[in-house]
Amino acid sequence: MKRLARAVLVLVAAGLFVARAPGQDWKVQAEKRKLKNGLVVVVSEEHSAPTFGLCIAYGSGFRLEPEGRTGFAHLFEHMMFEGTPEAPKGVFDRVIEGGGGWNNGDTRYDFTEYIETAPISALDPVLWLEADRMKALDFSPANLDNQRKVVEEEVRVNVLNQPYGSFYWLDLPQKAFTKYPNAHNFYGDFKDLDSANIQDVETFFHHYYVPNNAVLAVVGDVKADEVFGKAEKYFGDVPEGSVPPRPDVSEPPQDAEHRFTEDDKLAKVPALAVGYRMPPRTSHDAVVGALVGELLHNGQASALYQALVKDKKVAINVEGGDNWPLGNPFEYNGPTLMTSFIIYPPNVSEKDLLSAYDAVIGELASQGPSEQDLERIRTKMRSDWYGQLEIPVERASILSHATLFDGDPSHVNEIPNELNRVTPAEVREFRAKYLVPSNRTIIDRVPVKSPPGGEGGSEK
Amino acid sequence: MKFRVPTILCLTLTLAAFSLAAEKTAPLPKDLPPYGPLVPFHAPQAQVKKLANGLTLWLVPRPGFPKVALVIAVRGGLASDPAARPGLSTLIMDTIDQGTRTRTAKQIAEELQAAGGDLSGTPAADDLVMATDVLASKTDAALTVLADIVQNASFPASEVALAKRNAADTLRANESSPSFLANRALAKAIFGSNPYSVISPTQASIAATTPEELRREFARRFRPDHALLVAVGDFDADAFTATIKKLLGNWKAPSFAAETLAPKPAAENPHGIYLVSRPGSVQTTLRLGALGPLRSSPDYAPVEVANAIYGGMFGSRLILNIREDKGYTYSPGSSVQTYRKAGTLVTRADVRNPVTAASLNEIDYELNRMATTSPSDDEMTHAGRYLVGIQGFVFQSQESVARQLAAVWAAGLPPEELELEGERIQKVTAEDVAQVGRKYFSASRQTIVAVGEEKVIREELAPFGLTIHAVSH
Repeated sequence: MKRLARAVLVLVAAGLFVARAPGQDWKVQAEKRKLKNGLVVVVSEEHSAPTFGLCIAYGSGFRLEPEGRTGFAHLFEHMMFEGTPEAPKGVFDRVIEGGGGWNNGDTRYDFTEYIETAPISALDPVLWLEADRMKALDFSPANLDNQRKVVEEEVRVNVLNQPYGSFYWLDLPQKAFTKYPNAHNFYGDFKDLDSANIQDVETFFHHYYVPNNAVLAVVGDVKADEVFGKAEKYFGDVPEGSVPPRPDVSEPPQDAEHRFTEDDKLAKVPALAVGYRMPPRTSHDAVVGALVGELLHNGQASALYQALVKDKKVAINVEGGDNWPLGNPFEYNGPTLMTSFIIYPPNVSEKDLLSAYDAVIGELASQGPSEQDLERIRTKMRSDWYGQLEIPVERASILSHATLFDGDPSHVNEIPNELNRVTPAEVREFRAKYLVPSNRTIIDRVPVKSPPGGEGGSEK
Repeated sequence: MKFRVPTILCLTLTLAAFSLAAEKTAPLPKDLPPYGPLVPFHAPQAQVKKLANGLTLWLVPRPGFPKVALVIAVRGGLASDPAARPGLSTLIMDTIDQGTRTRTAKQIAEELQAAGGDLSGTPAADDLVMATDVLASKTDAALTVLADIVQNASFPASEVALAKRNAADTLRANESSPSFLANRALAKAIFGSNPYSVISPTQASIAATTPEELRREFARRFRPDHALLVAVGDFDADAFTATIKKLLGNWKAPSFAAETLAPKPAAENPHGIYLVSRPGSVQTTLRLGALGPLRSSPDYAPVEVANAIYGGMFGSRLILNIREDKGYTYSPGSSVQTYRKAGTLVTRADVRNPVTAASLNEIDYELNRMATTSPSDDEMTHAGRYLVGIQGFVFQSQESVARQLAAVWAAGLPPEELELEGERIQKVTAEDVAQVGRKYFSASRQTIVAVGEEKVIREELAPFGLTIHAVSH
């Protein structure tokens, strides 16, 4: 922050100090334009530092990867960093890091996003690089082989060599859902990763990596009109594509509880995952679901932590929420779960844990949250939501998802208000409709007993 | 699901990217627009105050964004635990918010949630840190709870008993994680009998801990004259200072003198391989570590630049080599870690079993390259601009500014350090980097930890000719 800018800020703040009601009315400003080729551009000015954050989100995620190509959306994400005809492998990162920034990408159910943040002096080259890789990639078999290996190491380090193997987000949807788009291995089976070829990369690119399937969001020390001009300059000549029709990913209703037990060769302490199917994101029920997810899981004050860890002492730790851990409760576009991931003591039985869990869910119906409980969790969610919007690159990410799914970036300002309108009666109705055994899937993950003498890592 | 950095404080390395090795750098695309003029940015400036009881305040008012980040740090962390109770600091932080004279654990959790926050309590090597970030309109309510905790934590017997049981099970769970096993073994191997060797409690120390011990250690360390309060966010400094005085002005410093809480500097770390057997592993978890400079040392800024070139950013030599060229690993990298009386340089790579030896060979090669050659001009520019730019990113968030300031205080430095660090980095020359490369980076200085299948590791690493020590648990 330069000296002049700081002086200006102090003056502005002094002017605002009298009028504002702190924390109750903070909003992010966002403007939106659509280019002729269909690319939607969102700008949020944030002049507190001479930096920017950028996110470009494509409407393609796990659900759209072809059968026989599990894990492909994510493997493809890696290929986006492997160079283009204009900017060979290496240029992208050299330019961004050399401009004082960093970049990243990630793949979820219904979007794949690419993010950058840097000092404002790097904005033009970064926009150019994003536009360049929307036009063409260096469809190199050698680079595909390299990234296939890297992704397989990613699967080893995050799944195969870890206790629990991310079963609460990798295995649970496969058991909870029935249709391929929702119920396959999102990281990818090795045989599918090994089968992926450069033609698959080209096809996926031409289907989904087109301007009319993307949202570009820029947040930072910029003027909105200037960014719209730059977007036109760099992205305006990217040809519009023809996106394949989206398959019907809706699930037939679940009619019975699904229960599974998995062996874990690496874990030493058991864990349980419970997943309830959630309502469509655009329904009012989904707002109630978002709040109930936090009421149950958000921190030490949450209902599950207080009951399972503190009162009944049947769990070591509880985490979870609506659409957890694959994003926040407002960024999916098809079936998703409210997931609880519970690590519990070896001397506690699954039955005792589950009966304590069910008692918490039952209390939502018999007693419901008090108005005070609701007010507390709304305040926490407002605070958390603002927290997600503080850093420019994170705000760009949230704005791009809101625009991709609903066409309206300013909806991010409505979320705290929508949560405020949830009533105790709605929570009880939500519980009766969704948090019932016939709508859930449970996996108990149990350590396999180690052979005698083969124990590693127990300190004496 | 790529390399999403869970919190921006982990920024030392793990972002995503790819590049070419310096010697085969491709020319930039002809149409690529140039960088715009550099706009200098400055570190947030803290107002430094001291209360009559000795409590240090570092306040950073930042109007606009309607939240406030609060951190309270006290001197004396894991390295200050009694020798018979290794890792006791973990239990102190597990139980410190589980009751005061007037509040139950549940009340504490609910009052903080009602302010929009959670309490995170982490034991570091040299200090204990409590942090929360809350809605600006509820800052006083949150500080009321924090002030009660630091003055009146009561360590109720029932809560301590539950925390001990959960800590024992958590340790069991942690011991199934290869990175936990590797980090624990590396600290032990590098620091030997120095207290910095301990990063976690043992089952024995957990079992032996009593509420009385926790109260005693709490009383010893939580004293205003050895504590810092950082606040960053939307508040008026004068009004908030008055609130702080009201809530924390009566916090009494004890009459006994504070013990010297920082350990002695560590002796030289051993060069050898420390093997942790973990049956069923499909990767070898490699960690290499060696002592580095103190944060206050003139070598620190050059080592930061050297680390960026070696393995600290995505366009670094190590990542280009073992990830982007060879595909041995997903998330390799290196980081500079600092303690009050020590510093380390740590390299990490989780590699599939059959390339364990090949990976260590490449890591050794890149370390020795740092030790024996000078970086190119391109590498110096790239690393310097990257490090300064990343600092600007860290300054975007109240929480990260608060934590950075607390880390500076833990190192015994003033808040201006944040600004000075950026200036020092910009002055580092290729000769400086070559010099610290020679001093700190050579492969022969490294303590090596390998966690995984014992048979694989023994066979793969035998050709290196180093003594392989089996780490006994």
